[in-house]
Amino acid sequence: MSRIELLDASTAPMTAQSFFSGGDPGPIVAALANVPELLGPTLGFIGAALGSGATSTRHKEFAILRTSALLGCRYCIHAHTTVALDVGLADVEVRALRGEVPLEEGFPDQAEQALVRWIDAMAGAGGQVPDDVWAAARASWADHLLVELSVTIGATMFLNRFATGFELPTSTGVLERLERDGFDTGMAVAS
Amino acid sequence: MTDTTIDSAIDSPIAQAIADGTLPGRVWMYTNYHCNLACSYCLTESSPRSERRQLDHDTMLSVATQAKELGFTALGVTGGEPFLLPWLPETVLEMASHLPVVVLTNATLFSGERIERAAMMAHPDISVQISLDSHLPDVNDMARGDDNFAKVVEAVPKLIARGVRVRIATTTGGALDDPALDPLRELVAALGVAPDDHLVRPIVRRGRADELQLGVRARAQDIPSELTITADGAFWGSFGPTVRAGRLDTDLLLTRTVLPLSIPATALLGLLGGMPDGHDANLGIR
Repeated sequence: MSRIELLDASTAPMTAQSFFSGGDPGPIVAALANVPELLGPTLGFIGAALGSGATSTRHKEFAILRTSALLGCRYCIHAHTTVALDVGLADVEVRALRGEVPLEEGFPDQAEQALVRWIDAMAGAGGQVPDDVWAAARASWADHLLVELSVTIGATMFLNRFATGFELPTSTGVLERLERDGFDTGMAVAS
Repeated sequence: MTDTTIDSAIDSPIAQAIADGTLPGRVWMYTNYHCNLACSYCLTESSPRSERRQLDHDTMLSVATQAKELGFTALGVTGGEPFLLPWLPETVLEMASHLPVVVLTNATLFSGERIERAAMMAHPDISVQISLDSHLPDVNDMARGDDNFAKVVEAVPKLIARGVRVRIATTTGGALDDPALDPLRELVAALGVAPDDHLVRPIVRRGRADELQLGVRARAQDIPSELTITADGAFWGSFGPTVRAGRLDTDLLLTRTVLPLSIPATALLGLLGGMPDGHDANLGIR
């Protein structure tokens, strides 16, 4: 149960109706609709930050799922475990991003390990990103990709706190899928 | 306002939409939601126990100032009972220096010192619109509360005698041209109110009226699309920010942002472009 009212087509403001015309838009939109003037700009930013870009979908999901696990966002971990599987990440890779198996076990590739460690430093800690973490990431990933992923990480952190603070509910369909695929639907937290 | 801002108001999309009749010229403000009455058809479920949801003086003045700058042509003040706010007469007078103002009230508070304070609203650009639903005290008071009729017929001549322009609004569950309203029209005239200043309008089935299944059902396009400002945000029409079972209706919400006024005004204008014609004129909702 969400902590705030999730609006539906009958209660959504007239300035938000277009977001409900295709059916249930999900709890993030249903919650944001309480402030309809924020819907367009916020979803525009989230769409650009999490959607297609120069970075591959695979590596975008690294940023999204890993950040969500670091911030302990149950809703986002649930949602993006299924997304990550759907875009082709292996079961062990998803479990590594969720912090359930060692990073090295999920990602033998050094460049991808470096990327995840940089994500950890960006999203999971305060203060400076250590020089060695930055240097390792920079050795394999172009500036523009790291800039793009930093925006993905930031947008994900916003969504993590939004979904966690308001206790947005995971859909029954996602929970059933996770259970079918053998994933814990409790709180996965990367360390 | 400088000449430059007057020119920009005339050229603004808001001013143009008002000039061509696309957008109504009045901006409404809900000063508060609480009321000393609890009328059976109240859109906002107002009562003495209602959450106040109050606009403050500075917000109201800012709305008035910016409404004029944007090209709006009139202001409206409603509630709840606005005159539960002791500072309201002065505020209305200040607002009238920007645009003409109509203030809706049940007029039951205009006794003693309050009638003298209300006298400061004797101004060519201020109208006080008072609710009166029947020439029969019992019928009127059944919907609006004990002694309402007596207090209204006492207050109206006093206000007029002090130079305050008074309008009467009658809300009815029947036909707007029902001959049964003729005695009320005669009473209103006898109180000193001009026929053109007597409005008859239907109960709109929202708020408490919806709970009791009273009045006419109205879609957004059936409600005058007057920009309406409340403590909870900006709405499509003064019939928009209704309350049902203690919960604010959000279906006619435009924006939570009320200032700068250009934000909700632009949102409203954007909706008007895609809105089919409605029946507000036919239904007489005003």
